Amino acid sequence: MDLSKLKKRAAFPFETIAVAVSFSPRCLSVLVEAKYLSDILNATLILIHIGKKTAEKELYLDNLMSQVEMDESRYRVIWMEGDPVETILKLCKLNIVDLLIIGALETENVIKFYLGSIARTICRKAKCSVLLLINPLEHPKKYKRIVVNGVENKKTIHTIGATFYFAKCFKIKDVAIVNEINMPGLSMVIADDSTAPEAKEIKKNFNNEMEECIQSIIQKYDTTGINVSNKSVKGKPGYAISKYAKDRKSDLLIINSPDTHLNLLDRIFTHDIEYILAHLPCNLLIIHSRV
Amino acid sequence: MLKLEHNDIIVLLGSIGGILILSRIFAELGKKIKMPSVMGEILLGIILGPTVFGSLLPDFCNTIFPVTGATKIAMDGITSLAVVMLLFVAGMEVQLQIMLKQGKVAAYTSITSMVIPFVLGFSAVWFFPSMFTITSEKIIYALFFGIAMAVSALPVITRILMDLNLFKTKIGMVILASAIFVDLIGWILFSFVLSMMGHKGEINNIGFTIFMIIGFGLFMLIIGRYVINKTLPWIQQKLSWPGGVLSISLGLCFLGAAFTQYIGLHAILGAFIVGIAFGDSVHLQDREREIIYQFVTNIFAPLFFISIGLRINFIDNFDFPLVLLVFFLAVACKVFGAALGGYMGGLTKRESLAVGFGLNARGAMEIILGTLALNVGLIDNKMFVALVVMALITSMMSAPLIKRFID
Repeated sequence: MDLSKLKKRAAFPFETIAVAVSFSPRCLSVLVEAKYLSDILNATLILIHIGKKTAEKELYLDNLMSQVEMDESRYRVIWMEGDPVETILKLCKLNIVDLLIIGALETENVIKFYLGSIARTICRKAKCSVLLLINPLEHPKKYKRIVVNGVENKKTIHTIGATFYFAKCFKIKDVAIVNEINMPGLSMVIADDSTAPEAKEIKKNFNNEMEECIQSIIQKYDTTGINVSNKSVKGKPGYAISKYAKDRKSDLLIINSPDTHLNLLDRIFTHDIEYILAHLPCNLLIIHSRV
Repeated sequence: MLKLEHNDIIVLLGSIGGILILSRIFAELGKKIKMPSVMGEILLGIILGPTVFGSLLPDFCNTIFPVTGATKIAMDGITSLAVVMLLFVAGMEVQLQIMLKQGKVAAYTSITSMVIPFVLGFSAVWFFPSMFTITSEKIIYALFFGIAMAVSALPVITRILMDLNLFKTKIGMVILASAIFVDLIGWILFSFVLSMMGHKGEINNIGFTIFMIIGFGLFMLIIGRYVINKTLPWIQQKLSWPGGVLSISLGLCFLGAAFTQYIGLHAILGAFIVGIAFGDSVHLQDREREIIYQFVTNIFAPLFFISIGLRINFIDNFDFPLVLLVFFLAVACKVFGAALGGYMGGLTKRESLAVGFGLNARGAMEIILGTLALNVGLIDNKMFVALVVMALITSMMSAPLIKRFID
């Protein structure tokens, strides 16, 4: 495989989709959702199973795929043994996977969360986009609402671009771009130094600046047929958008991939994506923009 | 038993009322010339205290602001409450996550802007003690001076970044993350120094003190923070709003302060760490945060900052060579330390200097630090005045100098 193809590869379209197969009770639903996505996005599907290849497992998978009703020519299966996280990530890299689909629990127990489950660890480390499905269905539901982050970051433009691509492919009309306002010291300054109109003005200016920034990104893409709204929410990054997505009953939350290598400390002093991973508000798509 | 008599109560209430109204007027006047409100309050204290008013009308001044007796004790009690609450709100602004997510530049800047001023400040006292008026044990004084050189003032820095529209820029975030780090480490170190004062530097006690600081800090920042975060939604929904949040938050602040005082550390550490744990909750709404700040910064903070001017004659204690020494050391150590970190982290020379001057603003934090040190006899009036002057000038010079290097 030519790994140089990975460098600067655009965040979308998703040409190759991989799905982690664990033979769990929800395996069929995850495969159905993966097929649904690959059909609409016209992508090649790779099934990855980390574990020993046995005749029994092979038969079971064939049986599942016949239920999924997917033509054998449209997917391939990779069997490999090893550390699940590292092996899946390595295979994604080698096969130039654009999107990795994994089934995940909405909330994990405290110990598992801090130790790091497979799905969540992949989200933290992946070098491709990752879709976490919290409630995969055997009859996939059409996505209606998407919430995407509008945080000031060089990755955001690609994430918003990928969102519009996704929305167009799935004919999703409702996209909310959410900007989180969290400024340490701001409340103190307002309490200490500002009159009521000044405080209002400060907050208004922050909102306006953020809206202008998002507008300039939106203008770069064709959004015909999509109702794009631009929202500012107060609160800690990660938590605020997660709460917004949950309150709004969104089907999908789309965010940037993490900027730094995340470790246990980031889970103890939770921030950004860790708030979302601690309690998934809906399906989560993490866009890895490879910038 | 000492108790407040009829006249004492009138004097106490009258002086508090007068202080609050006058402080507001001075803070507003200060704002007109872009001076932080805390500076206006200190100026008012200097005018009302022995420096100006006390020299002209000593008897009248002594009647309104007595230096002994029950009224003085009551006033001291109020200012002690004020400083504990000020540290609580300072803790509420410490967002550990910001330090974690800012990456290499912030990490370098945070460390060098803390370590270099601390080491240089400590060394200045240690190797040139004759240049200072050392009133306590040399090592404790040197440790204090190192911390005084390292400290930054998050509220002043935030204001400056907002005024210069740098809040969301990379440089702004580096300055903020470093100020948070310096605040955190600085106050922990300072409470260690204060407890050393109590233990007269005995090795066994120092070991115990360090153990208690780390133990209390870790307990509050991991378990306490988790419990507060889980309980806060219940407080918001089941208790009257915002009274419930206000009383529970300040209740926890005082309990934390009382606990650290009880175990031999200073009360400020408890308030500061509880502030971090409380302010970190994702459920704490902006409005609640603002109400707590309004309550502390507009009622208790003026009483505290004015009390500084009321107790010291700034003219008699103005030691020009010491003021110059403290000022130049503070600026040189901080700007060099922070700029070096920024440069090592990948910023340009000009950006690094902007970061250096940003972190150089000392503001209210330096003054609180100095006051606490003065209260326990760690420093004398002359050093205190030098620190106040340095805090004042560094806060005012910060914005124009950042602008110069950013433009």
